[in-house]
Amino acid sequence: MVVLPPLQYSIIKALAEVNEPIDADSLASKVGKRAEDIMRDLEELRVRGLISIEYRLVTRVTLTDLGGEYLRLGLPEERLVAKLRELGGKASLSELNKLVGLSREEFAAALGRLRRLRVVNLSGNVINLTDNEGELMNYINELKSFLSSIKGTMEYAGKLPEPVEEARRRGLVKVHQVKKLMVTITQEALNLYRIGELTSARVITSLTSADLTSGSWRSGVFKEFDLAVEVPLRPIRRKHPFIQFLNQIRDELVAMGFEEVKDEHVDAALWNFDTLLVPQYHPARRETDVFYVENRLKPRETPVEVMERASEQHELVWSYKWSRDEALRVLLRTHTTLVTIRQIYHRGPGEYRLFSLDRVYRPDTPDPTHFMEFHQLEGIIVGKEVTFRNLLGFFTELANRLRLGKVYFKPAYFPFTEPSVEGYVKHPRLGQLEVFPGGMFRPEVLKIVGLSSEYKVAAWGVGIDRLAMVVLGVDDIRTLYTNNIKEIDSMKTPIGVV
Amino acid sequence: MPTIEVSLRDLSSIARVDLTPDGLRDIVEVFKGEVTDVKGDYVAIELNYDRPDLFSAEGLGRAIGIYLGSRSIPEYNVDGPATKLDATKAPAYRPYAYMAIVRNVELNDEAIRQLFQLQEILHRDYGDDRRLVSIGLYDLDTVKPPFSYVTVKEATYRPLGYSESMTLTDVLNVTEKGKAYSSLVKPGEYPLLIDDEGKVLSFPPILNGEETKVTEATRNVLIDVTGVEPELMKRVLNIMVTSVAERSRNPVIQSIEATGANSELTPSLNWININVKLKDAEDLIGMRLEPNATTSVLMRMGFKVSDMGDSINVLAPPYRIDVHSYVDVIEDIAIGLGYNNLEPNLPPPTHFGSKHPVEHLSSIIRDLLLGMGLQEVVNFNLISDEVMRSIGLINFVKLSNPKIKDYSALRSSLIPSLLLTVKVNQRLVGKLEAFEIGDVVELKDNTAATSRRVGVLLMGDGYTLTDGLSVVKSLLKALGMAANLRKCGDKPFIPVRAVEVLVNDSRIGCIGEVDPEVLVNLGIEKPTVIGELNIDLMLSILKSLH
Repeated sequence: MVVLPPLQYSIIKALAEVNEPIDADSLASKVGKRAEDIMRDLEELRVRGLISIEYRLVTRVTLTDLGGEYLRLGLPEERLVAKLRELGGKASLSELNKLVGLSREEFAAALGRLRRLRVVNLSGNVINLTDNEGELMNYINELKSFLSSIKGTMEYAGKLPEPVEEARRRGLVKVHQVKKLMVTITQEALNLYRIGELTSARVITSLTSADLTSGSWRSGVFKEFDLAVEVPLRPIRRKHPFIQFLNQIRDELVAMGFEEVKDEHVDAALWNFDTLLVPQYHPARRETDVFYVENRLKPRETPVEVMERASEQHELVWSYKWSRDEALRVLLRTHTTLVTIRQIYHRGPGEYRLFSLDRVYRPDTPDPTHFMEFHQLEGIIVGKEVTFRNLLGFFTELANRLRLGKVYFKPAYFPFTEPSVEGYVKHPRLGQLEVFPGGMFRPEVLKIVGLSSEYKVAAWGVGIDRLAMVVLGVDDIRTLYTNNIKEIDSMKTPIGVV
Repeated sequence: MPTIEVSLRDLSSIARVDLTPDGLRDIVEVFKGEVTDVKGDYVAIELNYDRPDLFSAEGLGRAIGIYLGSRSIPEYNVDGPATKLDATKAPAYRPYAYMAIVRNVELNDEAIRQLFQLQEILHRDYGDDRRLVSIGLYDLDTVKPPFSYVTVKEATYRPLGYSESMTLTDVLNVTEKGKAYSSLVKPGEYPLLIDDEGKVLSFPPILNGEETKVTEATRNVLIDVTGVEPELMKRVLNIMVTSVAERSRNPVIQSIEATGANSELTPSLNWININVKLKDAEDLIGMRLEPNATTSVLMRMGFKVSDMGDSINVLAPPYRIDVHSYVDVIEDIAIGLGYNNLEPNLPPPTHFGSKHPVEHLSSIIRDLLLGMGLQEVVNFNLISDEVMRSIGLINFVKLSNPKIKDYSALRSSLIPSLLLTVKVNQRLVGKLEAFEIGDVVELKDNTAATSRRVGVLLMGDGYTLTDGLSVVKSLLKALGMAANLRKCGDKPFIPVRAVEVLVNDSRIGCIGEVDPEVLVNLGIEKPTVIGELNIDLMLSILKSLH
């Protein structure tokens, strides 16, 4: 027994009754549908071997508006002869033209034709009807009977009737080649139908609760899912991919035993530079490299002992006169080392690992890899036994967790660390990426914030935006900070693989 | 970072070894440098601030030669004093001056180029653009010692590069250097360096004299430093003297006795003596060190060393002004061993890690808002101060030196950022439901304070305060907080369609329909509801609940 959906069953039934090729339009009207509504069913029946489909070229002839008008009012030459006869078979050209109601072109063409067939002759300005109308009448009758026979539009599978070319030339019909879909029932289907092996059943495209409770699903057939049809995509409301990336970095640091700390975005130069032994004349402290604050703000915290020790160490190491006022200038932090150095001041001795992942500010000229605001991943490992190799080990482990591959190290310089290092990785597309700057805090720096000399501190500050750009497939750093819904939609979701 | 340009041929001759661009690439890494460009014989190298002795071919070639073993660490003898420098009448605002002499030099065009390059980079990156230290080089045979560093109201001399004499005032007004550095001198109290006959060597820190300049014919060089930081000046003088000495087969260095604010003989060319305990080096690097291997590494890095058993006595040459303490020597041990030869080693943590509580709560709030179908957006903390003021915010951090007008302040609220978000998206989507979690900087008692906020935004026809409050109340309910509402007249909302949100009687934020006047001024054509809650306050409320 072959079970078909009701529509497909009626298609087979109609085809079995015709039992010869039939075009899709006629078939559709037999089952009370439009051709486009049965196409998918025809395809399913064909795939099941119950029908065969072929395409046939036919010529479609369609009556034009002009053809319709001539059919209704008569051809111009016919109307001209009739009017002439009404006028007694003789008239002046101008009079006839005025009375017959044809356009100038129609009148001229009709007159030409009548003269060629010798139905009329001209003597001077006067037109005379002859008795020679036989040929014209044949022409007119043949053309008009063809025009009325197509009833608006007509299709021809084989040879075209004679007057088609003349009617087309005179603009009375339009002629197109059309491909027609012809459907035939297969012998196998015909046999099944005749012996009653084909039946129809309800098709289930979407199971309902009522189907389940009534049990009606048992008598239905499930519509086979069509993989060729594209499904619509759902709009996603998701975490901003950059935020998601930053939170994944946080998770890695937490897993490595680091405690997250935060601090102020706006603070005294003391914490951003002076505790870190950056000399007050250093180019990195100039207005081209730091955003200073216009408001007259009080620095948050400027402990006397830190100020004194900063002055002492700066003069000892850099040999210049340290200025208290310069240290009290309020600025937008240029790095998050401000966060970790103050943590050391407040926490003092101990064994701890801290990190900060936050925004910093520098007056860089914006370009695809620089902006005036960006993120740093800052961290310290504090303890009595902390070594430079631990720092290299931290970079190696972080690179491993971020799937960055092998880290290479080269000597670097920061005023507050010694030894200092720059770790870089080799990216297949972007080449050498310098991503891991760090070092061991100088003893002078630790002295300024009051950490006992038994303790050592490995410190690092990674510019995380460059990595985010690689992971999120973004070519411009500003896109990381986008509020544009379309840009957010186009960003990759960070899934932990670079 | 400073970039120097050197001739490979000149550098090779100083290093006494044939250098190729590729070979140079590897070696300069040891000195924290990077070859950034090669053009024929000329190589551009980006260096770090810490080794000013490498800012020209003389010092870089010397370091490379010693590192590769093609030359030895130089010795320096100082004769003298050859003459005097009277600085007793120096200007009070720029009181110090020192001098030194290097004899028997042979200078070609390239050597002169290198010495001027060194002088310029030291001025810029070490002397705070001549404010702290200014350097001058002269042909000794064009002047008559002794010298004086004096204060004058006005004087006339022929400045370097000019064919005519001019007054000091004209030098400041006319010459390029004069215009650039005039702020470093006081009108009518001009510093001047003159010889015994009153001939002007230099108008420091502005411009030297044309008649005393160093040329290829110069055999004996006079060097001066003037400025405000005597120790820094003497260190810089050491670098200049030892670099000029590289241009002589048989340099004779002579000191000059300065009198005045700081009377002393310069250059000192003292070696910097540092005792490094082997254990300190082992503890800092994190590995056992063989004394023999360590001393040979230090010699390659350019130190004189003597093994004292459990410590190494290190003498750093006078030009190594970056060496301040034992850690600077230890870094050179690690560099000499090769950073990539040190095995990375991170022991497991001794404590559990944790996220900051503010980030923890932010994540929970983010998940809840996403669950309500809002999209997360991000904005910069930097914002235009005009936008801030246009919505009635007046108390915020303004930059004194903004780079771009659109980023001239720090936001004190997320509301302006969310309005900019509406502006960007109003034509891209019909409706928008979005939120931002971010930091703002408030001013409290004249002190800047960072604060974490969450902002909610509903944009499009049909949204009212009711929809905004639905989001806020659902959020607070999910966090276990009961919210009370009270009408408020906060900007930038329609006065009768805004409320403040209170939890336990304290205000944690506000929400309202944005005033159409504000929307129109910002070029926004869609009705907008915005709310903002303070996550720091929510965190302390949640802490008090538990």
